[in-house]
Amino acid sequence: MTETRPPDRLPAPDGEPVVRMTGVVRVHGEGTGAVHALRRVSLDVAAGELVAVMGPSGSGKSTLLNLAGGLDRPTEGSVVLEGRELRDLSPKQLAELRRRSAGYVFQDLNLIPSLTVAENVALPRELDGVRTARARAEATAVLEEVGLADLGDRFPDDLSGGQRQRAAIARALVGRRRLLLADEPTGALDTRGGDEIIQVLRQRADAGAAVLLVTHEPRYAAWADRVVFLKDGRVVDSSAAGMETAR
Amino acid sequence: MSVRHGLLALLSRGPRYGYQLRAEFEASTATTWPLNIGQVYTTLSRLERDGLVSRDDQGGQDEQGRVRYAITAEGRDELDRWFAKPVSRADRPRNELVIKLAMAVTTPGVDVAAVIRAQRSATMRSLQELTRALRTLDASTEAAQRLVVDSMIFHAEAEQRWLDHCEAVLARPSEENP
Repeated sequence: MTETRPPDRLPAPDGEPVVRMTGVVRVHGEGTGAVHALRRVSLDVAAGELVAVMGPSGSGKSTLLNLAGGLDRPTEGSVVLEGRELRDLSPKQLAELRRRSAGYVFQDLNLIPSLTVAENVALPRELDGVRTARARAEATAVLEEVGLADLGDRFPDDLSGGQRQRAAIARALVGRRRLLLADEPTGALDTRGGDEIIQVLRQRADAGAAVLLVTHEPRYAAWADRVVFLKDGRVVDSSAAGMETAR
Repeated sequence: MSVRHGLLALLSRGPRYGYQLRAEFEASTATTWPLNIGQVYTTLSRLERDGLVSRDDQGGQDEQGRVRYAITAEGRDELDRWFAKPVSRADRPRNELVIKLAMAVTTPGVDVAAVIRAQRSATMRSLQELTRALRTLDASTEAAQRLVVDSMIFHAEAEQRWLDHCEAVLARPSEENP
C-alpha cells in the first residue's frame, strides 16, 4: 500500500521519554459520588515506541490518553510532556504545549468536511501561526509520509475510511509533533482499512514518533512494542515484545 | 493434525523420498509443525500397509538405500475425500487452557484472576511475536506460509478475546459478593 521511503528520524532527546506519567491518579467528582478513573498509573512512552493500551470499557483507557496529551490534568501524580511538568503550566501554556507536542486521532469525526485533505492537515500549523505557504508545504510532506501524496486536493468525503484515518494521522503529526495519541483509530474501519492504519502507526513510531494507542483489538495491539492492560484504573499487566523490557 | 494426509498431498505432486517429504511439509507450514524423520517413515509404512502409497519402482533406491514413494489411485481417492470433508471440531485435540481454567474456577484456593492475567500476557506476547514474524515476511513469501502465520494470529487473537470474556464473566458481582 504506502510507499516505504525511509522517513527522516526525528531527533531523540537523550533517551528522555516523550511523555512520562508517574503515580497518576484521576478522580472525577467528589465525596461519595467520586469515581476513580485512574489509580496510581505510571507509564513512559519513548520516541520510536508504539505502546498499546487495552482493557474493558471503564478501565480508564481514554482518561489515560487524555492525561498523556494534556487534555486533562491529574488529581495527583505527575505528567511530564517533552520535559515539561504539566502541573506547573498555566492553562495558556498548557494549551500551547499540547498544540505543539501532541496530536490526536479518534475513531471518527477527525476531519473538517468542507476543507480539502491538505487544508485539514495544514490547519493545526496555521493555528500555530505558521504562514499558509509553509503550513501547506509541511502538510504535503506529512501526507506523503502516510502515503496520501496524491490526495491532498480531495475532500474527506471522497476518501475511503482508511484514507481518512491516514489523513487524520498526518494532521496529528504535522509540524514535528512527536506524540501521537490514537483512541480506537481502527474502530470504524473494516479489516483492510484497520490494517492500513496500524501499519502507518507502526511506521510513524519506527520513524521516531511516540505513539500511544488505545484499542480493544488484540490483533492491532500486537503491533506494539509494549501492551499495557488496564483494569479499574490500574495497570494490571504489561507485555513487551522481543528483547525490550517493560518498565 | 493429519500428517498422513499432508504427506499424501505432497506425494500427489510426484514421487518423493522421505527426507524430501519432511522438508516440503515443514516449508509449506512455515515450520509450524516440525516433523521428525521417524514420524515420516512410520506414517509412510502405514500408508503403504493401507495401499495408499507404494514404493516407486522407477526411482528405486538412491545410493544411500533410501526408498522413493508414490501415491496410488486409492491414495488419490483418500486425498480427494480429505479435501472435500470439513474438519470436525470434535476431531481437534482438547484445549489445555480451557481445561485449566475450568479447573481453576472450581478448585478452592486458586486465584483464577491471576491465572487469566498470566495467560493473557503470555498470549499477547506470542501474538506480538507472530505479528513481528508476519511483518518480516516479504512479498515473495509463499502464500501457504503467510496463511499459516495468519491462522496462528487468528487463534491467538481468539484466545485473547476469550480470556477477556472469562475475566468479565468472573468479575460480575455475585450474590455473596455484591
